[in-house]
Amino acid sequence: MYKIILSVRYLLKRRISYLAFLAVALCVFIVVVVMTVITGLVRDFKVKNHKWVGDCVVGTESLVGFPYYEDFITKLEESDIIDSVSAVVKSYALVKNRGLQESLGVEIMGIDPVKHSKVTGFGKTLYHRRGDVSEAFKPAYDPNLVGCVVGIDKWLMRDTNGRYSYEVSPSEAALLVSCFPLTSKGALAKAGTGLVNTKTFYYSDTSHSGLAAVDSSFIYLPFEEAQLLCGMAGPVKRISAIHIKFKPDVKLEKGCGKVSTLWKRFIEEKGEEQAELLDTVTVQSWKEYRRAFIAAMEKEQTLLTIMFAFVGVTTVFIVFVVFYMIVSHKSKDVGILKSIGVSRLDIIELFSCFAFLIGLLGSAAGVLAGRLFLLKINKIEDLLFEHFEFQLWDRTMYAISDIPNAVDSKVLVVIIVTAIAACLAGAFLPSWQAAKLEVVETLQVSQL
Amino acid sequence: MFLWVRYLRKKKIVFLSIAAVALSAALLIVVSSLFSGFINVFEQSAVEAMGDIVLEPPGKFSKYEELIRRLEQSSVVEQATATLSAQGLLHLGKGNVRGVEIWGVSNLDTRFSRLERVSGDEHPVSRNEQSACGFVGIGVVAEPDEETDEYDFETVKKMIGQQAVLTTGAAPEDKQEKDPTSDFKRRTVRVAIADVVFTGVYHLDKKIVYLSIEELQKVLYPGGNEGVAGQIQIKLRAGTETDAALAQIRGVWETFAAEHLRWEPYLIRTTAIVTTKQMQSRYVAEFRKQMGVLLLIFGVVSLSAVLLIFCIFYMIVETRQKDIAIIKSCGATNGSVALIFIGFGVCVGLVGSAAGMILGDIVTRNINTIEGWIRIIFGLKLWKSSVYMFSKIPNEVNWDGALIIALSAIIAAVVGALIPAIIAVRTRPVNVLRYE
Repeated sequence: MYKIILSVRYLLKRRISYLAFLAVALCVFIVVVVMTVITGLVRDFKVKNHKWVGDCVVGTESLVGFPYYEDFITKLEESDIIDSVSAVVKSYALVKNRGLQESLGVEIMGIDPVKHSKVTGFGKTLYHRRGDVSEAFKPAYDPNLVGCVVGIDKWLMRDTNGRYSYEVSPSEAALLVSCFPLTSKGALAKAGTGLVNTKTFYYSDTSHSGLAAVDSSFIYLPFEEAQLLCGMAGPVKRISAIHIKFKPDVKLEKGCGKVSTLWKRFIEEKGEEQAELLDTVTVQSWKEYRRAFIAAMEKEQTLLTIMFAFVGVTTVFIVFVVFYMIVSHKSKDVGILKSIGVSRLDIIELFSCFAFLIGLLGSAAGVLAGRLFLLKINKIEDLLFEHFEFQLWDRTMYAISDIPNAVDSKVLVVIIVTAIAACLAGAFLPSWQAAKLEVVETLQVSQL
Repeated sequence: MFLWVRYLRKKKIVFLSIAAVALSAALLIVVSSLFSGFINVFEQSAVEAMGDIVLEPPGKFSKYEELIRRLEQSSVVEQATATLSAQGLLHLGKGNVRGVEIWGVSNLDTRFSRLERVSGDEHPVSRNEQSACGFVGIGVVAEPDEETDEYDFETVKKMIGQQAVLTTGAAPEDKQEKDPTSDFKRRTVRVAIADVVFTGVYHLDKKIVYLSIEELQKVLYPGGNEGVAGQIQIKLRAGTETDAALAQIRGVWETFAAEHLRWEPYLIRTTAIVTTKQMQSRYVAEFRKQMGVLLLIFGVVSLSAVLLIFCIFYMIVETRQKDIAIIKSCGATNGSVALIFIGFGVCVGLVGSAAGMILGDIVTRNINTIEGWIRIIFGLKLWKSSVYMFSKIPNEVNWDGALIIALSAIIAAVVGALIPAIIAVRTRPVNVLRYE
């Protein structure tokens, strides 16, 4: 009990300990704010990627694709872990748009909009056809035309608040899409003729996935049309990938493992039939599938954490100095305590308790201030933009809407624990020195 | 001075404040140098790829040789070159198709240095009449290693001499009908890969196929009598003032366009004539803003160094009350006593910021080696050209920024020493030196 009483007494009476408290609070405040924003950005990015991909992808990077997908989809649908599947054709294409005299390079994705919306969040990324995904490829101005859905950043501009200037109804526009049809051997299918397949599609809607790389480079086409364009609609039809959604109670690793096993069995059943194409197919979870993009964001988070760790060392120094001062001023207290039989370990525990209190209260103050700041961070940014035209991120350049301000409780716990650990680390040496003090030296008359 | 040295020797804890100042200063210097270096390389890469000034009319134009001749006759232009660009699809072999940008350039054979060409060759490429000849960026034909982010140059070399099929398209310049599909023609051509280019700039290496401008003109406008260009890239003479150069170039362009192209005044006026740095300015402004935000965050956290100095100096003042009292009793003024501690603060700031500058310099200069070691030890590749645009981390120290940071560190140290100095000034010898 005396440890707690003395700790509280030191905290209240020794004004120098306020400084340690202040330093901890300041560091925790900054770390909470920055890590919340960064963690929020990474989390949002992951969620958007998950929604765009689904849970699992069975696919190949080769633009030749792979055959027998219908047989495998049947097997998948028989499995008790699969909720829905969507076959996808992917390739590169040149698109010629009205108003431009040149083509633009894009990635095309051939999908069945209804099936794909069951697996991914595609349906919710649409604007005009959000309520009726089956009509996604039917332009409102003429449903008989073959439509296409364009990545929003290829079609609309963002204003300074990151909002798009949507049209009331889609404007009539023809897009000339060309791509190389490939044979199952990977050669050009139309060698000796025009070499490319070209077809006109009509703009029907935009897709806003929230992923800049996707929204600025993808055009979605009807599945069968994309298959024809890419030369995958031969006698043995091919696709690029199967996107899969698991049933709600299925864990990602378990689900992917089971799909992987199914795929291995499927290849064995097929034997040598087009084995070179089937061997290029991999089974990946959405995290693995989008690893190149997600890892980059996670690394930035790691880098920032490392830099904060370096700066946090200063806080350890402050706690050390404050405790060093308190110990040197309270040698009499230590002497008296030891003279009544308090052990060295108890002395260390006393100062550790004091350090814990500083860490806890400092963290609490930092977290509180951080949360208050985060609550108002978007309003503060709005005000700064209104008066000084300052935005943390230029919304016309970055696909970020609001600054993320939802505090992650796990991150918060890590920050608080780290702050307390830093205080304990800073207090350890002075505590050890206090524990080593000899009663006869500290309580001799000349020292009193 | 005597007391400063004495306190420094006797009070080892002062080294903690020096370490804190050094650490904070080094961190800020590294962050500022990396950002500034990145921005400089970003701007410089654009200058190297496109020259100092770019002239881009709203449409393609002919007789560009005459414009180049006129520009090179002016007092501000050292060299000018025409370019034509288009987007395309490149079929490199079995199932390997890439979306690419095609740049038609006037000086393909001499555009890249020996170091940038994977063949190591600097001679003009040999051409035959069977197919067009082009250079491709290294990222077009290969992927960097997942772990090291480095290319396998031996494998890449094997691509030299290979044939690829390039598809692009354009509408004839003289037919700009309302229907976008009517006149637009797809053009497909076989291209021999004459060399592979490694500039170290991700976008250029990943996306670009270089053809000679004449070959691209033949591909895009096969029936055209006159060659056309889309852009003129201009290198200014050394020491030329940019605004004057822009005005002079615009004058040359307006005369040329009116006399030779007979364009409408509206089209002539809407021609963009800008420096490549101006073209990048939006991005540069954003990078600078992010650097400012990051420096502000670390600056605020570094304020704890001020608290640390305050604590240590406060402790010194408390434990050295007798010294202060004796000095005052010998007739030292309040100013002299305050100066002891403020001067000591300056000393701590000076030594700390000097150490921080040295540490910052060492870390910045060796940042690529450090990043390499982090990859080897922790398996974490922090810098990837696909994310940060360049193959190498810019490692030039921003000395202007470093000096400002060092000065701020000294001021912070003085601020930290200020209150302890005031406490020292208020010490009353009669209280401290009395017998009991």
